Amino acid sequence: MAQHSYRIGIDIGGTFTDVVVARDDGLIETRKVPSTPDDYSRGIAQALKALVEDYQTTPDRITGIVHATTVATNAILEYKGARTGLLTTEGFRDVLEMRRLRIPVLYDLQYDKPKPLAARRLRLEARERLAADGSVRIPLSREDVVAAARRFREEGVEAVAISFLHAYANPRHEIEAEEILRAELGDGVYICRGSEILPEIREYERTSTVVVNAYIGPVVRNYASALTARLASIGVTCQVEMMHSGGGIMRLGSAVKRAASLVESGPAAGVIACARLVSGSDEPSIISFDMGGTTAKAALIEHGEPARTTEYEVGAGINLSSKLVKGGGYPIKMPFIDVSEIGAGGGSIVAIDRMNQVSVGPQSAGAYPGPVCYGLGGRQATLTDAFLTLGYINDIALAGGSFPLKADAGRAALNDQVARPLGLDLQQTARGVLTLAVTTMTRAVKAVSTYRGRDPRQATLVAFGGNGPVVAAEVAMALGIRRVIVPRAAGVFSALGLLRSDVEQEFVRPSRRRADELDDAGLEQLFAALGADARRILALEGYDLGQAEFRYAADLRYVGQAYELTVPARRFDIAELSELFHREHERTYGHRSQKDAVHLVNARLTVRLPLVAPRHQFAAEAPMRRADRAVSFNASGSAASIAVIGRADLDAKARRGPFVIEEYDCTCVVGPGQSARLDEAGNIDIALEAA
Amino acid sequence: MSAQAIDPITLEVIRNALASTADEMALIVMRSAYSPVVRDIMDYSTALCDAKGRVIAQGLTLPIQLCSFPRIMGFVRERYGDRLKQGDVLIANDPYGSGGQHLPDIYILKPIFVDGRLSGFAATVAHHTDLGGIVPGSVAIYATEIQQEGLRLPLLKLYEAGQPVEAVFRILEANTRSPIEVLGDIRAQIAACNVAEEGLRTLIGRYGAQELDSYIDALHDHAEAMMRDVIRALPNGVYRATDYIDGVGENPQPLPIVATVTVADDTIDIDFTGTADQVAASINCPISLPESAAFCAIRCLSQQDIPNCEGYLRPIAVRAPEGCLVNPRYPAACGARGVVGYRVFDAIMQALAQIVPERAMGGSEGGPYLLAAGGTHEGRPFVLNEMVVGTWGARAGKDGIEGISNPAANLSNQPVEMIEADMPVEVLRYGLVPDTGGPGEFRGGLSFIREFRFLAPTRFVLRGDRRDHPPFGFEGGSPGAPSAHILLRADGTEQSLPTMPMESFNARAGDVFRLIGAGGGGYGDALQRDPIRIEDDLREGKVTAAGAARDYGVVFAADGVSIDRDATARRRAALAEART
Repeated sequence: MAQHSYRIGIDIGGTFTDVVVARDDGLIETRKVPSTPDDYSRGIAQALKALVEDYQTTPDRITGIVHATTVATNAILEYKGARTGLLTTEGFRDVLEMRRLRIPVLYDLQYDKPKPLAARRLRLEARERLAADGSVRIPLSREDVVAAARRFREEGVEAVAISFLHAYANPRHEIEAEEILRAELGDGVYICRGSEILPEIREYERTSTVVVNAYIGPVVRNYASALTARLASIGVTCQVEMMHSGGGIMRLGSAVKRAASLVESGPAAGVIACARLVSGSDEPSIISFDMGGTTAKAALIEHGEPARTTEYEVGAGINLSSKLVKGGGYPIKMPFIDVSEIGAGGGSIVAIDRMNQVSVGPQSAGAYPGPVCYGLGGRQATLTDAFLTLGYINDIALAGGSFPLKADAGRAALNDQVARPLGLDLQQTARGVLTLAVTTMTRAVKAVSTYRGRDPRQATLVAFGGNGPVVAAEVAMALGIRRVIVPRAAGVFSALGLLRSDVEQEFVRPSRRRADELDDAGLEQLFAALGADARRILALEGYDLGQAEFRYAADLRYVGQAYELTVPARRFDIAELSELFHREHERTYGHRSQKDAVHLVNARLTVRLPLVAPRHQFAAEAPMRRADRAVSFNASGSAASIAVIGRADLDAKARRGPFVIEEYDCTCVVGPGQSARLDEAGNIDIALEAA
Repeated sequence: MSAQAIDPITLEVIRNALASTADEMALIVMRSAYSPVVRDIMDYSTALCDAKGRVIAQGLTLPIQLCSFPRIMGFVRERYGDRLKQGDVLIANDPYGSGGQHLPDIYILKPIFVDGRLSGFAATVAHHTDLGGIVPGSVAIYATEIQQEGLRLPLLKLYEAGQPVEAVFRILEANTRSPIEVLGDIRAQIAACNVAEEGLRTLIGRYGAQELDSYIDALHDHAEAMMRDVIRALPNGVYRATDYIDGVGENPQPLPIVATVTVADDTIDIDFTGTADQVAASINCPISLPESAAFCAIRCLSQQDIPNCEGYLRPIAVRAPEGCLVNPRYPAACGARGVVGYRVFDAIMQALAQIVPERAMGGSEGGPYLLAAGGTHEGRPFVLNEMVVGTWGARAGKDGIEGISNPAANLSNQPVEMIEADMPVEVLRYGLVPDTGGPGEFRGGLSFIREFRFLAPTRFVLRGDRRDHPPFGFEGGSPGAPSAHILLRADGTEQSLPTMPMESFNARAGDVFRLIGAGGGGYGDALQRDPIRIEDDLREGKVTAAGAARDYGVVFAADGVSIDRDATARRRAALAEART
């Protein structure tokens, strides 16, 4: 009997682990299984074992696993990373603690600064000094490094980050120091250096990045070996790959080395799924909108390419992409898909203060105890309780009936804690709470659109995650967006994205030359050197580069500016590159300066190995009309009885709202003045009337 | 307020939309600005005002600048009334008669018209690299009248109905040593104003002009009510505090800043009578800044999330006699006036510490320490502008923070690597200094050290403070360690420079300038400090063993690192006894 083989995408969340299976003929199946936070690999192994049994196959037919995880992020948020040491240039061990000095909130004298991930006593110095051009002013003192190693050993340090001034321009001293530390400390201690992780100017950002990497490196390393062992124990020996925050996948070994790149792996997967959804279509501009239990996330995708950034602060609470230097978290400078994240999810707590100001989030009841209506012990009213009150979600049970709800408790909480103190009726209050949450989520969308000079009204919103499709149309309306798409498997869409990602890695070489000092030959030389770096490293990791795409780009700015804009380098033509920069500057900031000199700061290269996979298809679904229910859409709070249907009840003909579409993993609300149809791929396509 | 009912949820929605617009303005400035002062140190601010010129939202920028917008907007109303047109952009920096602070701070303001109706103003201010005058950077302490300090711009139109006023641009270009930076930063400020225009237009499109107006009125009223609530909770009374500027030159005479804070029911009056007279140096501080510092200090009293709109200023009155350091008469020089603004904040904070110590903070580093250095290297001119901050005083129940901006500022630091890449300057050290936090049950933050080696002949000027009058402690806490300016010549000689030297210095290649800020003030009796905290400080190298024994009365066990609890208790009791 011809046996199928399977690739599996696994996205681990706090409560559920989402599993998407792609059969070799492209057939997709999705599952949600409980997460096992004490040891996530146990839950994964259980899920895979069950799959093998259900499919009556053998473990060797699992030919690939792509994985996204929050272990790295959680280690930082919970301060459970490694005992981390830092070795710096003499005179600069406090750079990590002094940060960029900025305060994320005004007028708050009770503010507490995030504590450094490497304590001061574990930050040691070595005599050495490079100049900005990489030339050696003071040679590295080997005795200092040896002495530091001894100290680290005495202190029981589990990881060491090395960050010397100007190491981006010349890694020699850092490499020497790394060799000495390895010899002294052995392989048990995780060691990484700034010149390898982030060879870019600005000592604080580079040091912070390499320290975050060291802090979570051992956690990721342990996780990877536990996972590998656990999989081997059930006979699964295929290659395991991880999603990085930049939206590409990499081998487990690279993930261990560049642990900090895992921080946004889950959200990145969702954005990739969106980008693949529209690839090949004529959709010029997409905003992905992913809402789960604690946060809402948005990203911009233009012509199939997600917008990217290199600045991110993990643990900063609310994270608006491309934000100001705020100082509320731990900066990582690495390729990230530019996802803005804001503390508004289904579990967000609704509260009012003494002055009757209403707030939704950022405090969250999370997955546990969760919203009041979950009946798991949550006492504070949440956004989900407001959804329920409005009739947006089923008030009997979720997840296809498997998760019963205590609707009355949810309504009562909202009524007693919010409506009554405000003197409003319950429905009005629930509507107001939704409006407020929508405003907050709107900021996440604006952060990736208007903040970057893009008009969201020109874009299509693609909604997913457990709660995304519940509110997507309202978010769209608030921003003047006219079209919303709710894809198949919307509730586990990030896991699906894992199976649609290419292997992708980014390489950087600093240049710091003025455009007018460079000719085309010089430019070509720079990019050729970068290409050679990439080939060498990827070949070492065992990749076949036969099908690889090499995409070059350049970071440019006007001489005197500090922040670059990145433009694609399709040809090695310095005049063209400069013109592209002028145009991008005008588009982003509204002006250009033909007079001012342009600086080429970095050459960038993204190598992509395109995924070879069959076209995905979903099993046919049966129509599943349910009982109508009362849903309230207007500000006055009055409710009307509307239809509740399944996805398969829609067809290519537009159906006028209001109605609700219920599925196993999520609910989609189509309001009055909106209509929805099903496209050929099975996506729900919602059209909003112009306001 | 209009008859229309105000829905609390819509109010919150509008408040968020306004706040995000002001933040977006700040982001645009940072990313597109040219000068290190704006793009790296982030010495600029952004706000959105309503049609009456009242601030309705502040960007995440500098409190001490933000609270100065009300005054300049008053001048805009007075000067232009209803004669502004769509596409106009206003510029000003003049402290005398135009609401400016000192010449490097250029305000760019743009009236916003929607459907032909004046609907609001975008407001920005940024510290520019150079506006001419006797020294690069336009901040010479030894200037004695404003004419020596550079280009004065009274409130003028920079754009008229969308067209640049070429004359103003030409004058600007001809009066700065850094035309590319100055014009580039002005473009960044205008780009931010355009973003605000778009944001306000969208809001009016959604709510309609009249409804938005009534919500904005409600926002002001709401902020006012919250602030009155905060003040009403304070005991009525007159609270007076004096802090000092060390004074200028080789033999500085202390300059008192006296703040008398009167709490009467739900209002606060702050009076600076008794403050030193204006001086023949450039630290005179036009009223715009002291007023802003006062608003900022009072705003810090509230632990609630008061909307950052002008309504909260209504219960607060600020007055200062003319001709004193905090309200100088024309033509007093004011380039280095910032230090006085920070001391005003400190004096008021000391008065507040008498009323609500649990919400006050000990003295911080004292505000930015300025180093402006310039010269010519390999045929190209360079200007290094440093404004170094870094330390908070202690709070009730919390140590002061080290490695943080002054609470009234929110400045950043220039990356050492950026300085070294662009200038013939090497930074030898940037870090924390042990034993400098003011001792207390909760200690002040540690001071910073930043050391520069000049690699080419360089002329530089300085402005520090807090050497003779270090940052105050409170509730029995001690002051922080004093600041220092040290010049280490390449030939091995060492020289202490005044905090506010009335001259510039010439450094030779290889000379080193060492800057040490003051430590933060402490809170509470140092003999009450928990030995666990002291042990932690010892491990972290934030306090030395000798410092711990001297400042905190501890006795070490035989191992020399852990504290002998019993012996310490005995010694502390004896020390307390000896005090009385």
